[in-house]
Amino acid sequence: MTDRAMEMVVEAGKAMLENGGEVFRAQDTMEIMAHSLGIQEFRVYVLTNGIFASAEGEDGPISAVRHVPRVSVHLGRVEAVNAISRELAEGKLDLDSAEKALHDACAIPAYGFKVSLLAGAVGSGCFAFLFGGAGPEIVTAFCAGIAEMLIMQLFHKGGVSKVFTDIAAAAACTALALAVRPLWGAGYNPSGAIIGALMVLTPGVALTMGIRDIINADYLSGTIRLFDALLCAGCLACGVALTYMVALSFWRIPL
Amino acid sequence: MDLQFFGSCVLQFCVAMVATVCFSLAFQVPRRHFVACGTAGAVGWVVYIICTAAGLSMPAATLVATFPLAGISRFFAITHRAPVTLFLLCAIFPLVPGAGIYYTAYYLLNNEQILFASKGVETLKTAVALAMGIAIVCSIPLPRRISRHQYRGPKMN
Repeated sequence: MTDRAMEMVVEAGKAMLENGGEVFRAQDTMEIMAHSLGIQEFRVYVLTNGIFASAEGEDGPISAVRHVPRVSVHLGRVEAVNAISRELAEGKLDLDSAEKALHDACAIPAYGFKVSLLAGAVGSGCFAFLFGGAGPEIVTAFCAGIAEMLIMQLFHKGGVSKVFTDIAAAAACTALALAVRPLWGAGYNPSGAIIGALMVLTPGVALTMGIRDIINADYLSGTIRLFDALLCAGCLACGVALTYMVALSFWRIPL
Repeated sequence: MDLQFFGSCVLQFCVAMVATVCFSLAFQVPRRHFVACGTAGAVGWVVYIICTAAGLSMPAATLVATFPLAGISRFFAITHRAPVTLFLLCAIFPLVPGAGIYYTAYYLLNNEQILFASKGVETLKTAVALAMGIAIVCSIPLPRRISRHQYRGPKMN
């Protein structure tokens, strides 16, 4: 019985981390769940990419370790897992129904391909406007947004590493913004369009959560996230820079 | 604040709202939270542009803008009974120094070392300001009566 409860609690923590929940939230949730399910001597240590837990079972100590290598943000699932922990704490769920609810929570579908594509494109266009772009920049950013979302989705399906995906997406939107220059004429500023499209790729989540973790005194988790942000920002800069250099040296397109 | 500036603020508010909702979509936030996310993001952005128009530097304006942003996020977290992350992550996106990252790389490439260094430092300062603002607002304790309804469940011990 304790084994099953332990398994369920650790899986809930894993689901939380995998879908973009914070470290302290995952830890809190697991402790609350374990307490509600009556697991004895539950101890857990959570990192950005791993969970270590131990407890006292019926036939001696039990432990559970989970590795969470890849995070893809799905806040709907975080909310659902949080709801399970609250209902457990209020005594509305027992172990069986909680297991079922967790299974359902992890199966909440993501928004469809077309919807994400449109969201990326509209988001890019909006940001081009917010950063001072006019008509040409907004339209270009919209198209660049479609291109980068396509790359992100396809590379993600193909299992390409995150580093290369970021470089390719940044390079693609820079290339597109530079390529349409003759189309728009003198009033067009490629930087405006590129910034709009890049906003969708920026590591805002990792950056902010990293600093938040550090302020929460989770130094190790914060450092992991900050490095993640730094790497992502480096990749974006790299993608933009490479495309500029290629454009400059092969086609003499000025910056 | 003259009328034209007010008009542009309203327009920026709407566009920032749409942009934030697009991000909530990318983060798979359930539909019922879209308006809340959008409002928090748009308020943050409008406060930011008003502050920059008033002459504050980018990091300072970002810090000031995160206060209402994080406050609204916490408010919605309580009323919607959802984790505050849900609103916070989407709403801060307009304030993330994406342009700063871009210009830092751009100046590095152009061999403009001084501009590169100053832009790089400014970007870093903005990022820290963003996180500090959130941390400050999120660490303000709520009265027990309200925080009981917050989504983190009952405290043990």
